[in-house]
Amino acid sequence: MRNSPPESPVSSITEPLSAADPQAPLTQLFESLRPDLLRFAHWLARDRSIAEDVVQESLLRAWRSRDALKDAAAARPWLLTIVRREHARLYERKRLELVPLEEVVDSHPGARVAEPDDDLFTLRHAIMRLPLDYREPLLLQVIGGFSTEEIARELSLSSTAVLTRLFRARNKLRALCGVTPVPDVGGDGAAP
Amino acid sequence: MTCDEARLLIGAEPGASTPALEEHLQGCPECARLRTEMRALDEQLRRALAQPPHSGRGRRAAPALRQWALAASVLLAILAAGALWLLRPSDTLARDVVAHVQGEPQSWLATQHVDAQAIATALHGAGVELDLTSDQIIYAQSCWFRGHYVPHLVVESARGPVTVLILRHEHVDGRRSFDERGMGGVIVPAGTGSIAVLERGGGNSGNLEQLAQQMQRDVRWLPDGH
Repeated sequence: MRNSPPESPVSSITEPLSAADPQAPLTQLFESLRPDLLRFAHWLARDRSIAEDVVQESLLRAWRSRDALKDAAAARPWLLTIVRREHARLYERKRLELVPLEEVVDSHPGARVAEPDDDLFTLRHAIMRLPLDYREPLLLQVIGGFSTEEIARELSLSSTAVLTRLFRARNKLRALCGVTPVPDVGGDGAAP
Repeated sequence: MTCDEARLLIGAEPGASTPALEEHLQGCPECARLRTEMRALDEQLRRALAQPPHSGRGRRAAPALRQWALAASVLLAILAAGALWLLRPSDTLARDVVAHVQGEPQSWLATQHVDAQAIATALHGAGVELDLTSDQIIYAQSCWFRGHYVPHLVVESARGPVTVLILRHEHVDGRRSFDERGMGGVIVPAGTGSIAVLERGGGNSGNLEQLAQQMQRDVRWLPDGH
């Protein structure tokens, strides 16, 4: 029996259900993926509390659309896509990118933390400094495991534009980490 | 392929390998060096993104304390390395395999058989073919692992789902069994690389051994593998 009625997807996602509940496997699947979704959202939004809101809203949307998920194996990319779109909606509404990075970093209680590896610290900071146009395809590729074509579909870009953004993202990371960047290439629809 | 085209592909997909790119790299040490650098950067990138931002433990130490912190960290590293060597719970490859599989928990929940086309797609990126019939495979993805795309399969067995990673670029000298973080398995040499077979729980050695041997027989390594 449910702890809450089906109309209350937040509860049905966040509260444990009994084994007899037919939705329990899906609930467990969503819950098992929540840390991954939160990590992805956190890197996208660069703010823990915003990331938590984005993931919560995304899980609500996913729960309402659960009939669209035909194969449990596709749940992770499906949910990551929902998280990305939810973040994009929030970004459009609140213009999150207008918040200066240093402000975001300095206001965060865990900011400027000690890393076991200074290079890794530098790189993580560099990723945070990447503009969203470059950070977003990079996160979809590295965290999400999406192919270039899948990213192109998701971002409504050409494959060439995605390749260019991914190239420039890594090239900017090199520069931000103090490595000489390679000469720029591409240009088809890529972000500035 | 021109240097611009090669740089674009290397920067966008450092793990990618196409015949045209490989041919270009043979005659262009500059682009070959760039790929080595980009692959190294990608390894770091994956480590960096494996944790959320700012999930560390405390603020960066003040400059005056950093030398002491450095000395302490070196000492700790030596002690930790010694402890790890003494305990040797598993080798690094096995640990990475388990971490990767545990990062895709949805793979164990798959129930529908994957069609032959999807299996071929998952195998294509690693340059392998497989004789296993598609009605045994319930999950097939091409996953990024240690700088390369590798086939990640879940095979339905009588004792439950068994995960198989085909690791073209990971050479092992001999059979290695492991029991790590709730997963048991075996890594066996195959072709120029290896195959990891694992399952949740302690791992039924007979079950895994049988599947590992089947995989050693059935995986065909294509000459132009990535």
